[in-house]
Amino acid sequence: MTTGISKRISSIQFALLSPDEIRKMSQIKVITADTYDDDGYPIERGLMDLHMGVIEPGLKCATCFGKVDECPGHFGHIELAMPVVHVGFIKEIKTFLESTCSSCGRIKLTQDQIDKYRKRMEGFDFASSDPENLALVSKRITDEATMRKICPHCNAPQKAVILDKPTTFREEGIKVTPKEIRERLERIPDSDLIFFGMNSKVARPEWMVLTVLPVPPINVRPSITLETGERSEDDLTHKLVDIIRISQRLRESRDNGSPQLIIEDLWDLLQFHVTTYFDNQTAGIPPARHRSGRPLKTLVQRLKGKDGRFRSNLSGKRVNFSARTVISPEPFLSVNEVGVPERAARELTVPVIVTPFNIDSIREIVKIGPEARDEFGRYRAGANYIIRPDGRRIKVTTQNAEENSKRIEVGWTVERQLMEGDIVLFNRQPSLHRMSMMAHTVRIMQGQTFRFNLAVCTPYNADFDGDEMNLHVIQKEEARAEARIIMKVQEQIMSPRFGGPIIGGIHDHITSMFLLTHNNPTFTEDETMHMLSYVEPVRQPDFKVENGHKLFSGREIFSSILPEGLNLKYKSKLCSGAKEKCEYEERAEDIYVTIENGRMLTGTIDETSLGPFSGIIIDKIYRSFGSDEAYKFIDRMTRLAVGFISMRGFSTGITDYDIPKLAVERIKEIGLDAEQRIDQLIKVYKEGLLEPLPGRSVEETLEIEILRITGEARDGSGNVASQYLGMTNPSVIMARSGARAKMLNIAEVAGMVGQQSVRGGRINRGYTGRTLPHFKRGDIGAAARGFVISSYKSGLNPVEYFMHSIGGREGLVDIAVRTSRSGYMQRRLINAFEDLKVDDERKVQDTVGSIIQFTYGEDGVDPTRSDSGESLDLDYILYNLNRGGK
Amino acid sequence: MILIWKDKKEKAEILQSRVPVTYAVDFEVPDDVKEGYITTDGKNLTYRIRLSAFEKIKKTSKYDIEKKKTDLKGVLHISEVKKANIPLSRFEIDSKGKAFSGFAITEEAKLDPEMKAVQKTVMDSSARKIIDDYSPRVKIPYELAAKLAKLKEDLPKKEFDSLMEKVQKELDKRFIDPYEAVGIIAAQSIGEPGTQMTMRTFHFAGVREMNVTLGLPRLIEIVDARRTPSTPSMEIHLKTKFAKSQQSVMNIIKKLENTTINDVADIITDTAELSVTVRPVPARMKERLVDFSDIEAALGKATQMSVVKDEEKNELTVKPQQETFKRLYQIQEQLKTMSIKGVPGIKRAIGRIDEKSGEWLIFTQGSNLRGVLDIEEIDAYNTTTNDITEIAEILGIEAARNAIFKESLNTLQEQGLEVDMRHLMLVADMMTFTGSVRAVGRQGISGRKSSVLARAAFEITTKHLLRAGLMGEIDTLTGVAENIIVGQPVTLGTGSVNLVYKGVTRKE
Repeated sequence: MTTGISKRISSIQFALLSPDEIRKMSQIKVITADTYDDDGYPIERGLMDLHMGVIEPGLKCATCFGKVDECPGHFGHIELAMPVVHVGFIKEIKTFLESTCSSCGRIKLTQDQIDKYRKRMEGFDFASSDPENLALVSKRITDEATMRKICPHCNAPQKAVILDKPTTFREEGIKVTPKEIRERLERIPDSDLIFFGMNSKVARPEWMVLTVLPVPPINVRPSITLETGERSEDDLTHKLVDIIRISQRLRESRDNGSPQLIIEDLWDLLQFHVTTYFDNQTAGIPPARHRSGRPLKTLVQRLKGKDGRFRSNLSGKRVNFSARTVISPEPFLSVNEVGVPERAARELTVPVIVTPFNIDSIREIVKIGPEARDEFGRYRAGANYIIRPDGRRIKVTTQNAEENSKRIEVGWTVERQLMEGDIVLFNRQPSLHRMSMMAHTVRIMQGQTFRFNLAVCTPYNADFDGDEMNLHVIQKEEARAEARIIMKVQEQIMSPRFGGPIIGGIHDHITSMFLLTHNNPTFTEDETMHMLSYVEPVRQPDFKVENGHKLFSGREIFSSILPEGLNLKYKSKLCSGAKEKCEYEERAEDIYVTIENGRMLTGTIDETSLGPFSGIIIDKIYRSFGSDEAYKFIDRMTRLAVGFISMRGFSTGITDYDIPKLAVERIKEIGLDAEQRIDQLIKVYKEGLLEPLPGRSVEETLEIEILRITGEARDGSGNVASQYLGMTNPSVIMARSGARAKMLNIAEVAGMVGQQSVRGGRINRGYTGRTLPHFKRGDIGAAARGFVISSYKSGLNPVEYFMHSIGGREGLVDIAVRTSRSGYMQRRLINAFEDLKVDDERKVQDTVGSIIQFTYGEDGVDPTRSDSGESLDLDYILYNLNRGGK
Repeated sequence: MILIWKDKKEKAEILQSRVPVTYAVDFEVPDDVKEGYITTDGKNLTYRIRLSAFEKIKKTSKYDIEKKKTDLKGVLHISEVKKANIPLSRFEIDSKGKAFSGFAITEEAKLDPEMKAVQKTVMDSSARKIIDDYSPRVKIPYELAAKLAKLKEDLPKKEFDSLMEKVQKELDKRFIDPYEAVGIIAAQSIGEPGTQMTMRTFHFAGVREMNVTLGLPRLIEIVDARRTPSTPSMEIHLKTKFAKSQQSVMNIIKKLENTTINDVADIITDTAELSVTVRPVPARMKERLVDFSDIEAALGKATQMSVVKDEEKNELTVKPQQETFKRLYQIQEQLKTMSIKGVPGIKRAIGRIDEKSGEWLIFTQGSNLRGVLDIEEIDAYNTTTNDITEIAEILGIEAARNAIFKESLNTLQEQGLEVDMRHLMLVADMMTFTGSVRAVGRQGISGRKSSVLARAAFEITTKHLLRAGLMGEIDTLTGVAENIIVGQPVTLGTGSVNLVYKGVTRKE
């Protein structure tokens, strides 16, 4: 191949079609309203005339002699019996009629004004000026002209033009026919058009009144043959049939000299049909309907809105070489990989151009056929199609494989099935950020689902409750290179949103690493071997010998997957989850993580170290050693985590929340006590003795106080419960390590669910004066307003359950509302900002060349590469330098 | 020395239209005064003038126009009159002070030492030096340079040099790549966490009516550039001498809160007597820091009605001069909305101690930046409002840009969402770089795109296409949306570079 440069369209100019041009580009004048004859053959000069293209296989286009897929379609035209106005230009036509003289056609401005304004308008360049501004200036000028009652050029008195919506114009109550309108518009000289914002090079005002109607190619309005053999025409064809029929009747009536009234009626009918042909949702006109009563989809409807041509087919396109299926986890894959089911891999292909260098291997691939397996019955990539240099495609089957492999020559293209190591794009909707579409390398796997490492759940925001994802096979070398360099998962570890890792361990990864390092447990040689068999450690862990047994410490095992040369010191979040005083506050050994030269000396690994959004270790490895080391570390870490936790065993269940009877009673007491205090408060309130808080009404004060009491009660019960749930409890381990849930959730399960709320207050809706019929009117006590004393474990009574559901429903509604609102906001944001780019001098520019920022972000630093926004983590550099000195 | 006098708007306009002009006035001006201002409303200095000379008036003096018919004392030779808009509170007016009505000669208010530190705009010189030393090889961001400057003092030279070596190397890697699609990244970074935000508004600072819109609705509001926010509010800082004691803060609050008679008193209409009785409620008066004399004073200003005071009952009875029911009704309505005191638009104000500085701050419901800035005790440099349009009008577009940036940053941070400042800066800059605040959406940025296809693809498809036909617009296919529509590579990132491998011709 010699070329690498593809041609580009440099620009597209818009213009109005003149009647002459419509006739010129037309291949045929359509005069018959019929489509097909009884044999199903297109009627000549009918709406399905072969000159306008073909949609039936076997027939040839009468214009270009192309077959079905070769002929692009050609326009035809209809000569309208009488002119009609174009609905899209109604406003413009009105402006023209109002501000030009009805007899001489000049704009109703004095010569002085014309000279003055001309200068102003000539400042606009039609091609590139902001149309909004131009319209504004033009409006001011034409408004001035409209005001004038007498033409300054020919002194003819002017009548006011009224638009009788949607398409009729009246002058002093008398209808101005489209014919007259057209005549008036014709009189307007080219030189006056500039004041209306009309470019005289591409448009004339009279072209806004139609005398000829272009008929779109048949390809644009294909007819469908139903199973019954019945033909069903496109909505546009239906509409065109109407137009031709009425136009013909109008012509006949006119030529016969029918009464004016009949002609006018027909004329209006023609106007109606042409109007709905363009836009079937014009205000003031009943939409034209199909026989079934469904409104027709005409030209404007085809373009407009979410399902219109623009947003649905032009801004978004359907693609081939893609697959979609359910996803499931696979901890033994690297983060960079994706497991592809065989069935998908057989369908998805990569085009390979045959060269002297690869011809032998390609021949082999073709030879083994499209269902190839190796001697162990494992998947082997075959070929599905062979493409000859002339573009002919040959399907490869098991039968013709051998023969085809011999026919291949240099310069041919072979569509090869997906093989291991191919690079593909993997995506989950909604694609809210760029990490929603990343490049993975393929691993062919058994089964029917796509599989990937759990660490990439976060960027995709995926879980495995039935989620599906899409996969796209890249077809070009150039794109493959870009995907590999830019889009690979390892290159996307850092989020541009906040300059930290978005990929990291989740759930069990964190629990596992926490258990491995917390209190630094020791393991026997056997155990250690088992764990490390899951991983390829960077180095052997050190051990100490006790009683003749080799003992490996947890931290040492963790160290074996850390890259050498890593130095770190930070505080883990061990204490942040705990209520009140933390038992670890004094134990620096557990709290502070120190890593020196890739060896973990003290501390506990938790979410702060490995989690997405926080993962300090991942962050520092990425920055110090690059993306290769970072992804390798994540791979090792996730594997080690699985290895350890599956050996140790870890599970949680309802018995985790068992607390002694004494504690249960204590919690109950707290609940009852809260209820009592609330009753007390209400009593005080009812007596009118409640002292309002400053700036609040008594009622509000009461609510605030009650909310405070219920909050205290829940916290109190949580504290009681957590006294019996220590660091040996799996749920507590998960909460404290940051793997999943908060201590609050544990309190809800073991202690008390607490006050349910709607809009931040107590539940306060339902019947008049009460929430449920179980209560007396005016009861504002704890239970009647949604205070749940029970715990999830003990179970909720029916009233509590109901109240809890109210609170839960609010959350659901909130999410539903939020997603749509934030989705629209993001669409607007993307649309407004999509064109901005940084230039070579780190300025931010838009497409026109306006400078938005002189230095991107005021310092030119890429947020992806920043340290949580900071241009540089000076402390870390100093820390490393100092360490080097010692 | 600066001359300030009050004049009618018409007079000022005449002066402006006739410059240079001589103007006979009723006061005398020292010779060294060359600059002056005219205030037409007593609040803002609306015209700035330049004086070429002043002469005492004599019988023979000639002048173009005169301020008054009588009592003329001198003639001003005015060489320039320009429109201005400066709050009068910027000037310290001596002796007559607030009673300012005629004219005053004063000095422009120097930065009040009481006024808290104005944001530093001048770079620290040592930081500056660091930046200069290492440019143009690496452009060190200012904040980093400031930190480095500090380190330079603490570290031995050798160590500092090796640090700088490392810093340069690291920094070099961190700059943004050319042609990066920063706009899309910013939009995604702000839009993506949108799904995690709450929809609620929160009650604020313990006051009933005082809500603040937060979370997603607030973010949408900012991005939409709404005329007025759904919950306008202000954060008012005070000059140090007023920010310490609760008493002085309470006095300022009293000045701020716009209180109507209806807020503190019952208004009772007696149709038999044709009178309206205003019966103050002590509890409400206490809450609003109003006393009886305030109400009296407010009523005293009213015209076309007579006010009778009932000392015993502590009531005021208002009677219309014209004894008609229509007039009575009008008075009743007038009294309801009659303002006793305060700044219009400020519905409620409360004082709070800022935990960081230990000083009093005032938070308000309702916003009126111009009105509040006029109050003397206010620290104008730190007082803000959440009404971005108002900021744009009064303080200018750069201030609006900063307001958009800060408001959006606070909204996200309050929700606990970490979003890099650079994204928000880009949004703020994009919304304001044309000189006016533009919304993100079809009314603003998107509707003003240069490409027809891009506009058509966003919203209101047909309007844009039809107009393009009339105008003969040319789409140059430079943006993203257009190129996707026609099926070409976009012009961002790798798409903005043309790289062709020419190949090597081997010599045989």
